[in-house]
Amino acid sequence: MTRATTLGVVVLDDIAIERARTGDLGALERVYRAYEGLVYSLARRICRTEEDAEDVLQETFLEVCRSIRGFRGTGPGSLTAWVKRVAASKALMRIRRQKYRDADELPEDGSLAAQRPPDVGLQLDLEAALTRLSETSRAVVWMHDVEGYTHEDIAEMMGKTVSFSKSQLARAHTRLRGWLGEE
Amino acid sequence: MRKHCTMNELLALREGEGTAWAREHLDGCSFCQRELELLHGRVAALRALPAIRPPRDRWTVVREQAAREQRGTRLRRTAWGALALAASVTLMVGVKALNSPDGPMPGAEETAMTPELTELMSRSRDLEAALESYGTDGRVLNARAAGIIAGLEDRIAVVDAGIVQAGVRRDTRGDLVDLWRSRVDLMDALVNAHVTRAAYVGF
Repeated sequence: MTRATTLGVVVLDDIAIERARTGDLGALERVYRAYEGLVYSLARRICRTEEDAEDVLQETFLEVCRSIRGFRGTGPGSLTAWVKRVAASKALMRIRRQKYRDADELPEDGSLAAQRPPDVGLQLDLEAALTRLSETSRAVVWMHDVEGYTHEDIAEMMGKTVSFSKSQLARAHTRLRGWLGEE
Repeated sequence: MRKHCTMNELLALREGEGTAWAREHLDGCSFCQRELELLHGRVAALRALPAIRPPRDRWTVVREQAAREQRGTRLRRTAWGALALAASVTLMVGVKALNSPDGPMPGAEETAMTPELTELMSRSRDLEAALESYGTDGRVLNARAAGIIAGLEDRIAVVDAGIVQAGVRRDTRGDLVDLWRSRVDLMDALVNAHVTRAAYVGF
C-alpha cells in the first residue's frame, strides 16, 4: 500500500487513500506518517512557536480524518495538495486567533536604494531572518515563494485582498534583503 | 524622478509583469539587475531550507479523538434511524386507531402524533444538522470540553434507547413528548458545547 522513496518519504497509493476515505484508522495513520513532516515543516515556518506548529499538525490531521471521506481527488499528488491546503488554512487560522499584527512599518520611500547599507555585525542567516518577520509576512512569503500559492489563493485563505498579499510579500522581501545584506 | 525599482516592482518583474518603466529601467541598471538576482537567490535559498520533523508524535492524540468522533457519529446515525422507525410506528398505530371503522379506538389520541411531538422531532433533526456542520471544525478539544461532550452523548444515547422502547411498548403520548423534549434539550446542550469551542476568530 505504501512505499518509501530514497528520501524516506512515504508515498501512498490509491488503495491506501481509498481505505483512508472509509475511515479506516490504520490507513489514516499511513496518511499521517506520509505527510507529518510536510505539514509540520509548513506549520513551523509559518507559526511563531514549536507548540503552535504542533497544534497545527494535530488540527490538520483531525480535519483530514473528518473530511477525507469528501476528498474527491485522485492519486497521491492531489492528496498532497489537499493536505497542504488544510495545513495552510489551519496555520493561518492560528495566526488570526493570536491577533498578531506587524507593528513595524516600511519607510515612506520603499525603494531599495533608500535602505541603509546593511550592518555586517547584524547580518542574519536566512532561518533567523525568517523568524524576525511578522507571522503574517512570514506566512505570505512562505506560501507564495516556497509552497507556490498565488496571491489570489493566499488572499482567499487569509480573508484579505490580493493587494494585501502582494504588499506583505514586498514587505517581507524588503526586510529580508536588509537583514541578509549582500547575501 | 525615481532612481531604482522598488521591491514591489522587482517582484512584479520576477513574475514577468512590471510596468514599462520598470522593464526599461532594469535593462540599463546594473544595481536593479543585481537586486533581482538577489531576489531569485533568496527564494532559491528559502526553498532549499531543510524540512523540520515534529519533535513529538501526535498520532496517538489524533487517533483517539478521530475514533471518539467516529463512534459518536455512528451512534447518532444508528440512533436516528431507530428513532425514525419508532416514530413511524407510533404514527401508523395512531392513525389506524383514530381512523378505525368503529370509531376512534380507546387511547388512540394518546398514541397519535401531535403537533408538539412533530415539532420536537423536527427540532431534534435540525440540531443534528447543526451538529454535523460544527463537526467539520478543526479545533482541538481540551480534556474538559471532551468530557462534557462525551457525557452529553452518553445521556442522549440513553434517551434514544428510551424513545425506541416507548415506541415498542406504545407508551402514551405524554411519555413520548417528555422523552423527545429531553432529547432536544440534550442535543441543544451538545450543540452549545461545540459552538462554545468554535470561538470567533478575526485578524
